[in-house]
Parts: sequence; C-alpha cells; structure tokens
Amino acid sequence: MSIKYKILKGIDLAGLNFLRPVILLCYREEPEEQVRQIALHILVPILAFTLFLFLWSILAPLHKTRSGEVPTPAVVWDSAKQVWQFHTRQSEQLEAYEATGAQREQMLQQARERLAEIQPLEAEARRQLKQADATMAEYLETEVQPLQAEYESLRYQFRDQQNARKAELEKLAATLTPEDRSARDTFLKQYHAHELQIESEKETLRALKSKQDAVRAKVFPERIEALRAQSAIAEEKQFLLKLVDTLENNKAQKLAEEQAQYETQLEAFYTADGEKLPQLAKSLLFTEARIQNTATSSYAKPMTLPDQVLRSIACVFAGFVIASVIAIPIGIVCGLSRVVMSALTPFIALFKPVSPIVWLPILFIIVGGFIPDPDQHWLISALAKAPLIGWMKINPAFIASALTVAMCSLWPTLVNTAFGVASIDRDHLNVARVLRLGFWSRLFKIVIPSALPLTFAGLRISLGVGWMVLIAAELLSSSEGVGKFVWDMFNNGSSQTFAQMFVVVFVVGIIGFMLDRIMIIFQRLVSFDENAPSL
Amino acid sequence: MLLCALLLPNAVFATLLDVEKNELKLGFIKLTDCAPLVIAKEKGFFSDEGLQVEVVAQPNWKTLLDNVISGNLDGAHMLSGQPIAATIGFGTKAHIITAFTLDLNGNAITVSNSIWEQMQENDFDLDTDTPPHPITADALKPVVDEKLARGEKLQMAVVFPVSTHNYELRYWLAAAGIHPGMYTRSDISGRTHAEVELSVTPPPMMPATLEAGNIQGYCVGEPWNQQAVAKGIGVPVTTNYDIWKNNPEKVLGVSKRWADQHPNTHIAMIKALMRACKWLDETDADGQLVNREQAARILSRPDYVGADYDVIKNSMTGYFFFQKSDKRHMPDFNVFFKYHCTYPWYSDGVWFLTQMRRWGQITEPKSAEWYDQTVRDIYRPDIYLAAAKLLLEEGHIDVDDVPWDSDGYKEPTTDFIDGLRYDGRDPIGYLNSHTLGNKDL
Repeated sequence: MSIKYKILKGIDLAGLNFLRPVILLCYREEPEEQVRQIALHILVPILAFTLFLFLWSILAPLHKTRSGEVPTPAVVWDSAKQVWQFHTRQSEQLEAYEATGAQREQMLQQARERLAEIQPLEAEARRQLKQADATMAEYLETEVQPLQAEYESLRYQFRDQQNARKAELEKLAATLTPEDRSARDTFLKQYHAHELQIESEKETLRALKSKQDAVRAKVFPERIEALRAQSAIAEEKQFLLKLVDTLENNKAQKLAEEQAQYETQLEAFYTADGEKLPQLAKSLLFTEARIQNTATSSYAKPMTLPDQVLRSIACVFAGFVIASVIAIPIGIVCGLSRVVMSALTPFIALFKPVSPIVWLPILFIIVGGFIPDPDQHWLISALAKAPLIGWMKINPAFIASALTVAMCSLWPTLVNTAFGVASIDRDHLNVARVLRLGFWSRLFKIVIPSALPLTFAGLRISLGVGWMVLIAAELLSSSEGVGKFVWDMFNNGSSQTFAQMFVVVFVVGIIGFMLDRIMIIFQRLVSFDENAPSL
Repeated sequence: MLLCALLLPNAVFATLLDVEKNELKLGFIKLTDCAPLVIAKEKGFFSDEGLQVEVVAQPNWKTLLDNVISGNLDGAHMLSGQPIAATIGFGTKAHIITAFTLDLNGNAITVSNSIWEQMQENDFDLDTDTPPHPITADALKPVVDEKLARGEKLQMAVVFPVSTHNYELRYWLAAAGIHPGMYTRSDISGRTHAEVELSVTPPPMMPATLEAGNIQGYCVGEPWNQQAVAKGIGVPVTTNYDIWKNNPEKVLGVSKRWADQHPNTHIAMIKALMRACKWLDETDADGQLVNREQAARILSRPDYVGADYDVIKNSMTGYFFFQKSDKRHMPDFNVFFKYHCTYPWYSDGVWFLTQMRRWGQITEPKSAEWYDQTVRDIYRPDIYLAAAKLLLEEGHIDVDDVPWDSDGYKEPTTDFIDGLRYDGRDPIGYLNSHTLGNKDL
C-alpha cells in the first residue's frame, strides 16, 4: 500500500494525474470507474491526436506550393530518422578518429564490408535512374516537342503577319491628306483593329505557352523515387569512404607515423656530422611539436541536433537562473515597499514587451565588449575546461543568447513575486509582529514561504517564455542550438526543408512540455495548495 | 626540409609547420562556392596540415563578418568586397585581410516569370526556349521605363551592399542605361537617383521573396538561381561570367590581428585550401571535371549547403540551366583553381574599390596611389606565396599553378559585357570611362 501511495504522490507532483486511474486499476480499486477515467483522460486524447494525424495525412498533399507539397506525418517521421542518422554517422566519425588497436581494425573491416555490399545496390540505383530519365526524355520528346514546334511556327507566322499589316497601314497612312477626315477616322479604326489583333495573337501564344508549361510540369514519381534511392546509397557510400579515410589516418595512426619519424630523426641526429646538427635539431623539434599537436587534437565533429538540443537546454537554464537571481530579490523588495514598486513600474512596463530579436543584437555587442578575444579570455577558457559542459564550447554567442533569455523571461517572475509578497495574509504579518521577529527572520520565515506559490507560478511562465525566446536568439546569433538547426535547415532550401521544420515543431514542443513538467514538480513541492493547476 | 624528404624518400607528407592553433572554426554561408572550405575538411587536407577545422554555417553576411571581427570565428568564406569595405570603413569597420581567393564567377541574375515575359515581348529573339546569350539589360529597360511612367520602380535584391552581386547587378543595369542608384553620405541604401531599387535580402529568401512579388529580380550565388528554375519561380537571364569573365567572387577573410597572431596557422590553412581548389578543378584527358559530382554530393549534406544534390549538381558540373529547356555548357561557371584564380590579385581588389567609388560608397575622390596602397593593406600575396612554395616542395602543385613573379596586377582586360577596358594600374581612367556613376576628372 505504501508503494501505491508513493506512486500516486509522484504522479500528482508531476502533474501527470491522467495516469492515476491506471495505477488504481492495477490495484483493482473501483475497476468500472477507473476504466471510465482511462477512457476519458487517456483514450480520448489519443483518439483526438490520431484523428489529427489522419486529417493531416489527408489534407497535406492537397496543398501544393512551389517549395513542394506540405509533408505528411510519414514524411516528417522519415525526416526525423534522417536527422538522427546524420547524428549517428557524425558520432561514428568521432569514434573512428579516437579508435585504436582491435577496435580500429574491426571498424575498418565492417566499413569495407559494407562498401562492398552497397556496390551492386549503387549500380542498380543508377540503372533505375537512367531508365526513369529515359522515360522522362521520351515524354518530353513526344509531348512537349510538338507544342514547342507549334509555338515557334505560330510565333514567326504572327510576326510576319504583324509586319505585313504594319507595312500596309504605313503605306495607307502615306496616302491620307489632311482634308479627308473620314478617311483618317477609318485609318484610326484599322490601326485599332491591328492593335487588337496583336493582343489577340499574344493571348494565343500565352495560352499555348501555358499549355506547354502544364505538360512540361508533369511529375514522374518513379524518377523521384529513383533519385531518392540513389541519394540514400550515395550518401551512405560517401559516409563510409570518409569513415575508412578517418580510420586509416586517425589519431593513433598519425601518432605512430610521427613517432617513427621522430625515432628516425633522432637516430640521424646522433650519428650525423656536426655541420648538419642545426638543421636536424630543427627537424627534430618540429616533429616533437607535431606529435604534441596530434596528441591533443580532437575530431572537429559538427554539432548535430541532439547536441544542439542539449546545448539549448543548458542555455535556457543558464538564462533562467540569471533571470531568477535578478527577479526574485527585486520582486521581494517591490512587494515589501510600495515606493520601490512605484519606482520600478516604468521599467517593467517598458522592458517587458521588448522582443528577443531586439535584445539579442544589443547584448551581443555588449558581451563582445567584455570578451574581445574569446580564445584568450579566462572565462571562456575556464568554461571550456569545466567537466560536463566543456564539450558545449560556451562562447560569447551562448552568453549573449542566455542573457537574452534572461532579459525576456525575468518579468513574469518579478511581477508574480512582487504580487505574492504584497498579498501576504495580514494575519501572518500580525503574528510576526506579536512575536517580535527581526527583519531577516520575518523575511525567510514568513514573507518568502508565503510568496513561494506565486513565485513558482511566475518561474513556470518564465521558463516557458525563455524556451520560446531562446530559439529566436540562437537563430540570430548563430549560437549552436535548436534555433541554429532551424535556420540552417531553412537555409538549405532542400526538398527536406519543409519536413525538417515539422520535426523541430515536435522536438521543441516535447522539450517545452518536459521543462514545464519539471517546473510543475517544483511548484507542487513548495506549494500548500492542493488544487494548483497542472496545465 | 629537403633533408626530411631524403630521410623518408618514399613519403609525401605535409611540410612541418608549427601551427599556433590546431582547432579552428571557419564560417561560411550556404552557397556552393563555400566548396573549398568543405572539401579541404572532407578530403582531409586540413587534417594533413595538423588542423582540426569546424566549418560552421552562419545566418547572414553581417553576422559572419562580426564573428570574424570578434574572434568567434578564426576566418570565413567572405564576399570579395567584405575585407575591402571593412578595412576602409564602409559599414562595420575592422582591418580584415585576405591572402586567398576561393573562386571565380558563380552568380546569376534571375528575374520573375512576368518580367521575363515582358523582356521577351520587348525582344523577339528572347522569346524561345533557347535564347541567345549573353542577355543584356536592353530588353529590361522598357520595363523599367514603363514602371517609372506609372510612378513605380522595379525592385531587385542583392545579398549585401558590398557584395560582388551588388556591383555586378549595377554593372549589368548601367550598361543598358538603367541607373541603379547612388550611395551618398546620408543615403546608405544606395537609392539616390535610382531607376531600379536594390535592396538586401539573404540568399535563401530570394526565391520566396521573388515568388511573393516583393522583388522582381535578384542577383545571387548558387543554388538559388537553379532553385528558381527547378521550382518554376523565375528565369536566370545572365550569369556574372557574362558580365565580367572570370571575376573574383569569394575570398578567405581573416582579421589582421588574427593573421599576425597565427602566421603559421594561416599558411597551413591556405595550403589546405589550395589543394582543395586544385582537386575541385581537376579534369580528365577530355577536359571533363572529374571531381565535381563528388563535390556536389558532399555539399548536399545538411550541415553544408544542404540543397538537393541534383540542384547543386546543375551548376557545379560544367553546365547551367537558364530555363528547364535551356541547358548551357558552362565549364567556367565555377572556377576554383584555373587561371591562377586563387592568387590574391591587387587588380581584383582595385576593381571593387572603383565600383565602391563609382556608386558612392566611397564618398570622396581618391588618387591612384590611394587605390594601390589600400589594396596592399588588404590583399596579401606574400602569405599566399609562402604557402604555395611549401606545396611546391611537397609536390602537391606544379610550378605553373602559381604566378610567382607577378607584381599583383593582371594585364588589362576588356572582358566586360559593355566592352570597356579595365587596367588595375589606372583606376581613375577606368572610373571615368563609365557613363553612369561618379567620375573623378
């Protein structure tokens, strides 16, 4: 029974109360009621989401843009898998660079075996694409060529006719005398007819061109599929070739070669004639430096989406902490003193609505002023060496992004904290007065505990705002993170771009949900209100 | 160094350079002419020099430049005009140098379908699936005049105020008598007297903005012109190769401070990039580019250019699609190594300075001596030659690959769409030969 209550308590804290009937059903309490609750809070949302996916699948292909069809859930899922595949491939390259001994041999063998496997697949893909291209070429030959020829023929015919009519009109114009007004009226009508004829002929040509364009715009699904298949195989081959190259020239191999070279040079140094010593000494020292360089080198792996997600989460928390450290004390002071509240109101009113797109450039410049030379700055170096976060390569762009998050997210916390403090029950304050509590005791025993529920409500809003703000900040600063992934994929302009944007929708949404759950847990832990909202 | 080779007679290895820094970050914009940086990494040329290089996409040209200035990036793929503008103080001011040109050509001017139709109506020869090239802006001028008569202006976009694209679009328009507008001390958008208004738009936004009708044309690098063709949004009417044959497009930009602090690293970087450029331009006995398809495949990776392979391939493998029906053989659309293109020519830098003056980005007249001195502060052939010398010793390049004895100025050329003669030693004369724009008589 104690396990059951612990589970229920945890669920309650996390704001996941829709799981409660599942637990109770496992303990066979009121089974009919629990089934009803499960149907209402679990099955209905699942059905709704399923219906959403179904409608999305049906409606997406109906809307066509020049950038391609709106991707269906299946296409988005496939795109997500490709993003993950890219991540695993880059991770494997990193591993290959560091691999030694038997592991290196094994990786090398596996890569070579796979290369041999895909060779016939590549040939088949090329054959299919060639066949699809031939089909398309034949179609263009039989369907487009005649329309094209007709267009050309008509174009020249119309031009010749226009020139002929124009010559006739010019010839006629030369014969008209000022006295003959009716003849000139007739000429005007004839010229107008000529203009109308030209316009009509242009319209005919346009219609023919539209028809030609429509025919030319025919989509060949077999060719698209053949291209896709060829690309998938070619990309795998490219990856494997690079992997083999990395394994054959990785850190261990380079060190071995350089060490052997060093031994050779050392032997030469000890046995050579005196006049050769300066040059040999120089070579020896260079090789020694080279070995040191190689030993400390690391593979320059690009940031992939999982890395960017982690870095973004770190950045949003950094900004969130900075915001909280600023907002909570100020909020408390505002709540305690109406004078301070009044003094700060203009700042809150002015700065609260400011967009991160405005803050980021300002903070980027300011941070740049404090850190003029990132390579040699003590803070950047210290952060690069710190365990757990060193791999994130924190730089001025990260700091500027975190500060942008702070500037945009501190306001809800500040306002809620101030309101919480100002709303403290008068009875509590009277008790403090009766007990003659000092300022600090009153602050930490009465004021802060009383304000915590509203403060945490503010913190929850702040974290949500921060997460939204961060995506925009990273996009602008090119700080590695989800925002940069969005901008880079958009800039690719590939046929996958649209689908990749949807991948990010779900990634950002899921992470936002998780961050919110974390805040719910903290809020429930500090709150005395059993009815605190969980949505 | 020769002694090392003697000790290991069968080894071909990079000459030892004691690099000051072995982990580097280089920035780039997602355009196919970032290829040298990507290939140097993916083919292991950086690694051969003892460098572990992260090649990181940047959101726009200004952020890229700011990151180089601030030290967040060690160097970057830059517009040729960026080191020049930064050093002379147009826009963000900083001393940026370049010792390496990444590539030639590679841009095109694309107009919307409706503008193209109007151009076709103005010029009978254009109204065909395979119109004759190069196409001048002569057929565009009546369109511009008609819009002006209605109180409107044609809107076109370039990627950055000091981009090759801006100068080339202006050059193309001006050659047909269309005024692209002047920059002045108070007008930093360059629209004074403009008959066509040019705005700045990031490359990836170009096709979407064109489709939305906010602009009616743009000048940009690849794959954004081929994208317009593939998606049926617009028509590339001309490439910058037609405007100025073999014009310098991108450079490797680093801050002078960084270069002074990391001289050996800089040389090692250039060695790797030179090998990458040579690999990219390698041809077989038939003159076919043998490595471009592999390059296109690598560039299609999502963390590099990321566009579809077949879109990237269209302009990188010696062809260019002006329309789906108009595929042209253009082996020099992207040049990475031929014609000594990686050498940081003073005459290339001076050309950009003349265009900055022509359109008013440089607000005051300057002497020929000023042009020469300024370009020497920015373009560093001495660093390039130090790297080339090492590569020659290692056997990675041939003696003919580098213009060892050049004084930095190319021979005068008339390879412009308007036929004017450009001599880098006579910038004032060239400036005065233009019909539109500033003259310094």
